[in-house]
Amino acid sequence: MKANRGKALRGLLAAAGLAMAGYGIHGLLTMTRATNPPQAARWLIGGILVHDLVAFPVTAAVGLVLTRFVRAPYRAVVQGALLVSATVALASLPLWRGYGGSPDNPTVNPLPYGRNLAIVLGAVWAGAAALIVVRAVRAWRARRVSGPAGPTGSAESAGTVGSAPEPS
Amino acid sequence: MPSGRFPHPPAFPRRGPLREGAFPSRLHDPRVAALLGIWLGIAFGVCFLTGLVSHFMQHPPSFLDWPSRPVWLYRATQGLHVATGLATVPLLLAKLWTVYPRLWEWPPVRSAAHALERLTIVPLIAGAVFQLATGIANTAQWYRFRFFFTVTHYWVAWMTVGALLVHVAVKLAVVRANVGSGRAGRAHLTDRRSAPEPAGEGLSRRGLGVAVGTAAGVITLTTAGQFVPGLARLDLLAPRRPDLGPQGLPVNRTAAAARVITVARDPNYRLEVVGPRPFTLSLAELRAFDHHTSKLPITCVEGWAADATWRGPRLRDLLDAAGIPPGATVRVESLESRGGYRASEVNPPHARDPLTLLATGLNGAVLDLDHGYPARLIAPNRPGVLQTKWVHRVVML
Repeated sequence: MKANRGKALRGLLAAAGLAMAGYGIHGLLTMTRATNPPQAARWLIGGILVHDLVAFPVTAAVGLVLTRFVRAPYRAVVQGALLVSATVALASLPLWRGYGGSPDNPTVNPLPYGRNLAIVLGAVWAGAAALIVVRAVRAWRARRVSGPAGPTGSAESAGTVGSAPEPS
Repeated sequence: MPSGRFPHPPAFPRRGPLREGAFPSRLHDPRVAALLGIWLGIAFGVCFLTGLVSHFMQHPPSFLDWPSRPVWLYRATQGLHVATGLATVPLLLAKLWTVYPRLWEWPPVRSAAHALERLTIVPLIAGAVFQLATGIANTAQWYRFRFFFTVTHYWVAWMTVGALLVHVAVKLAVVRANVGSGRAGRAHLTDRRSAPEPAGEGLSRRGLGVAVGTAAGVITLTTAGQFVPGLARLDLLAPRRPDLGPQGLPVNRTAAAARVITVARDPNYRLEVVGPRPFTLSLAELRAFDHHTSKLPITCVEGWAADATWRGPRLRDLLDAAGIPPGATVRVESLESRGGYRASEVNPPHARDPLTLLATGLNGAVLDLDHGYPARLIAPNRPGVLQTKWVHRVVML
């Protein structure tokens, strides 16, 4: 009973979705003077291609480089700070690149965006640096508590990939 | 439906990203994808509904009489529309990261239903990226595309949210099996279940959530000041500052861009009110007309809003003087000779609101040419593009 009701509900949702999507595509294809379908299609497909063939591989490559150069407890912080920096920069891209606006209207994009982006990203990386210090102090304390005679010593944080899962 | 399954393809093309285990990140996980998907769904829902509000405010269907109160309503809905869209940038990219290996899944299609499901992903992702990219470009007035933004953004929204509903219907079982306190009891719903997080040195799943939340927070904090009162000082990365512009107010369309500099400055300017008892007012007569003060925001479709103090005759007093009945809709016409926004219709709720002015003064001075000198419409709860500037005619419809 319940499973059937769930199935019907999902069917209804899918049908509504298809109808809405069809309505949108129909609108795109009928109001051609405003929507310019070949242009709109280029931007729609272009968005997917730029993500799948550029944005993702570049991110993966940056991740690969990080595994080489940044050690364990700090790498996550650097990755997080890079994620924040990249998306903040992307969301304001036309502004700090100086795209858009019009010369006769100084109230559009009126701020020194390059400087402002530097301030914001500076704050992000200051936060990241503070986190790195906290993690470094914690790691140093952990080494002191376990003592130099401890059998795991400094191996504790150095790469547990492929080793047995931790009991916790 | 097992009968609909396609035969298994040969293994030899399975190279590169198609290889098993080609994507080792522990963030490629159904639970992470489901949680990000829920947030993304909420964000897109907010964007869609607030976008519809804006659309129907500008193109009201005959059955809908949009209210003039509360004064702040459009500021809130349109500010939220743009703020939510901006905050969605890190959410969408993180979500696409978690599910990217599915692009290269093997076999590429298992059944007709599976092929159909994969096909509906195309308008979903294309539309999502398109909406964010064109929305950001439009708020910066950066027009590299050769289509009209508002119309295209509107139709692509229907396509995207439609594809999103289909996606939710298809993925509901995966979400239920991976999210919620009782998810262990719903594990049988799908074979796409979250594996326990493997140990690793990089960003953890929780860490990804924290980073995405931080990114959305930073974006919101540095842009929301363009419409939230009192946050202007934090407004570092938004295309507008509500206090920057002539007379402390931003401008969307300048007098030069509208090509009205000469006609608007003409000393022989006349305001014409056309109704049962039509009349015209010279500049001096317009200034002598009974003036009132309204504190109203300009609330732009591009998501910024700025408070100002306006002064001028009430629209309803002008309409009364022309004998225009209270139930009538009027058209307010600009000196602009062309353009989609050269005139706007004012329905009775706005036309009769005591706050609605044909403003001739702004923030204690004569209205600046770029703000619509000699007179502009200013009404509560109304998109900025409909606050017609350089007004020279008011016509009963």
